[in-house]
Amino acid sequence: MKILSLALLFTYIILSSSCSLANDKIGQIHTMKGDVTIIRGTTVLPANIGTPLQKGDLVRTGKPGAAGIVLTDDSTFSMGSNSELALKEYAFNPKEGKFSLVARMVKGTFAYLSGLIGKLSPDSIQLSIPDATIAIRGTKLLVEVQK
Amino acid sequence: MRTRLYLLSAIILLFCLLTGCAANRTVVLVPDPDGHTGKAEVATTAGKCLLEKPDDITHISDSSSPPEPVSTATKEYISATFSEVLAIEPLPSEKFILFFETGSLKLTEDSQKTISVILDAINRRSALTVTISGHADASGSTLINDRIAFERAGMVQGMLLQKGVDPKRMTLTSHGKANPAVPTPDGVAEPRNRRVEVVIR
Repeated sequence: MKILSLALLFTYIILSSSCSLANDKIGQIHTMKGDVTIIRGTTVLPANIGTPLQKGDLVRTGKPGAAGIVLTDDSTFSMGSNSELALKEYAFNPKEGKFSLVARMVKGTFAYLSGLIGKLSPDSIQLSIPDATIAIRGTKLLVEVQK
Repeated sequence: MRTRLYLLSAIILLFCLLTGCAANRTVVLVPDPDGHTGKAEVATTAGKCLLEKPDDITHISDSSSPPEPVSTATKEYISATFSEVLAIEPLPSEKFILFFETGSLKLTEDSQKTISVILDAINRRSALTVTISGHADASGSTLINDRIAFERAGMVQGMLLQKGVDPKRMTLTSHGKANPAVPTPDGVAEPRNRRVEVVIR
């Protein structure tokens, strides 16, 4: 009986981990208040705490609105009201040494804290704001973009 | 009359310098939660500047001008502009490291105790994500290292699952022998690298 339940458990683990690879979750909404939406292609999705994010998502906050995002490499983006963050590219595959984080802070206020990609492969990170790019060496930034 | 005009323009200029009203994009370097400050290079098509000290700040007005020379951000600017952002910031993650008996899936005695510390932390913080990454040392083949690193991570995941941690919150990765805690040449057995790291948020 115990062996059977362990076998089931293991199957479940393998299934659940392969599923998490299939739907390309790159992170999630970790904290939020007020109006937060996710624009995925032509769809506008409501955000909740725990809502998964995918490569290509645009996260938008209204006023009042604020959100804290944690990506799977443990990096975080926090955004204030009337802000937009585009998560353009993302790869975090330490075993094969594949890393990429391309994000654009389109407008609003942000705090960015680098995660494992920042430690293992800082050159794979490309942050941008309108008119400028930011290269980082393991760090935290505050960014304001007025439109 | 004329002096008054001069005075007025001087005040406006001073105001602009203080508030940065010509520049509408701002980047500030601040210390990490652990107190360490990294570096950031801000570049436009016309030039770049390096932020390297806590509270170093630069402004960008447009892509055809270089970023403004670095100055120091005031506490007033930071709290007025970023209080909302800093209030919503997720709590820093907590990391736990579990070690294994050589070549096995058995946790060392100390690490068995760490499991309950991890469970406490998950419940206390209502953690949303639990990232479990398996690591092997540089002895043995890459294939075997990947497999054993993954199996070790799966072992830990199974233990947490049995204790009621939501499987949807857990992510499993294998680093194989990449990213060792203690770098060694290939083929070297190093107990400190045979580990599973659990990061909770």
